[in-house]
Amino acid sequence: MRTARDERARVRGAQEGSVSDLEALFRAHWPRAYRAAYLVTHDAAAAEDIAQESFLAALRALDRFDRRRPFGPWLHRIVVNRAIDWTRVRRLRAEVELTDSFHAPVAAVALGDDVLAALARLPPEHRAVVVMRHLLEFTPGEIAEALDLPRGTVNSRLRRGLDALGDEL
Amino acid sequence: MKRDLERVEVPGEHEARERAWGVVTAAFAERKPIPRPSHWPRVAAVAIALSAVVAATVSSPGRAVLDEIREVVGVERAQPALFSLPAPGRLLVASDEGVWIVQQDGSKRLLGDYREASWSPFGRFVIAAGDNELAALEPDGDVRWSLARRGPRSPSWTGSETDTRIAYLTTTRVHVVGGDGTGDADAGGPSHRVGPVWRPGTGFTLTHVDTLGRVSAYDIDSGQGPWRPTGRSRSFRGPRKLAWSDDGKRLLLLTRRQLVLFGSRSQTPLLVRNERLVDAAFRPGSRELAVIRTREGVSELLVARRSLFSGTGRFTDLVWSPDGRWLLVGWPAADQWVFVRADGKRIRAVSNVSAQFRSRSFPGVEGWCCAP
Repeated sequence: MRTARDERARVRGAQEGSVSDLEALFRAHWPRAYRAAYLVTHDAAAAEDIAQESFLAALRALDRFDRRRPFGPWLHRIVVNRAIDWTRVRRLRAEVELTDSFHAPVAAVALGDDVLAALARLPPEHRAVVVMRHLLEFTPGEIAEALDLPRGTVNSRLRRGLDALGDEL
Repeated sequence: MKRDLERVEVPGEHEARERAWGVVTAAFAERKPIPRPSHWPRVAAVAIALSAVVAATVSSPGRAVLDEIREVVGVERAQPALFSLPAPGRLLVASDEGVWIVQQDGSKRLLGDYREASWSPFGRFVIAAGDNELAALEPDGDVRWSLARRGPRSPSWTGSETDTRIAYLTTTRVHVVGGDGTGDADAGGPSHRVGPVWRPGTGFTLTHVDTLGRVSAYDIDSGQGPWRPTGRSRSFRGPRKLAWSDDGKRLLLLTRRQLVLFGSRSQTPLLVRNERLVDAAFRPGSRELAVIRTREGVSELLVARRSLFSGTGRFTDLVWSPDGRWLLVGWPAADQWVFVRADGKRIRAVSNVSAQFRSRSFPGVEGWCCAP
């Protein structure tokens, strides 16, 4: 079981140049980072780029990272903000090659497609709040801080998101 | 709800993880680790420091030493803000806030939330890369055109008054797009993270470093991409920078441990110097090189092997003025930019650089280009 103390040791090791500590951090946090990016963007290639770039951004800032803080939420905050930015740009650009698959009919039925389809009907900002609360387990206060939103907005987005998902599911 | 979100099948999760791990380890290998903290008891260290301070302040030789220490962690009498540039031209600067243009009179304009940028060949436009966008901008920030692309990096613009091309990197490929934003094509790859560069002169010859550390050249004039390399060097470990001299006759490859110089035609290097250098740059209109090297915690700026300036900590961002008379060096430990005249006879420094560009990290200088 991973403890906060282990994680602090790994962050310190990575700061001092240990590849094995970096790998431990990467393997521990990649699945959630990638999943969170995918649930917000609904695009596997974008999710890969976003999760990868977020790790690189975290790496660039590693020397300044305060080891008393947990690594995961710091990384996930970067991931979700980048995923929201990506969906905004895509919505604005609406380029032909980036056909909006959010509203496309779901062809293959994979595990969790009903959840994905239900999420797809929410605006990206609402999706992000739902993903942060229920996958990444941020508190509403932490979401508000991470996304620079009023607490009330976070709560209303959560409520509306859950209502919509409840109807769909 | 958590269970529902966790049971969503995410396509290609494992393959994506392994690809990303490859990129992350490569980036990690280029990073300089912070030193392991000393195991001396802190109390003893504080006591020694205090006694040194007391000794320094009560004796005149001690005061001289303190003055000297102050000197080496920043240029004294530095200007508190950038009031003007010492040579004609404009700077492109990338900070946490975005990309900025700095005019010769010191006035600044934030172009937008972009990560990096470079000038068009005549300095009329800027090509900027954001998280999900490649954009051509007017110097006043107006967007001429933009392409939605995932994580474009290292844009580089070349060409004549009538025909231009822009090269940029995606995660693993080199792309080329027309200066008007049309005809975006996969030029080649897989590419290392080192930015691709255009050979000055006629035609469109693009050079980049592939993932095996080989410098490859492509003739972009011929046919449609992806292009086959027209020349390719042997592998070099730890590539960090690629740059052409203005006459297109020398190509510089800087690696973690070597400085490599190629001629314009041969794939065999003219020179391989085993030296750890932080940065190197050709003087405009010349094949003379300026380099930054760091030894035992002291950085040094050298032009034609002559030391012009040194200081404690790491220098970054070695950039020549367009007239080749001044050099700009970033000094993050002092939060200063230092302008050094190429003859070494004048030095001008500017403090509080990060705050001036509303940045928590030290801003990077992306280019110093021609006057408008």
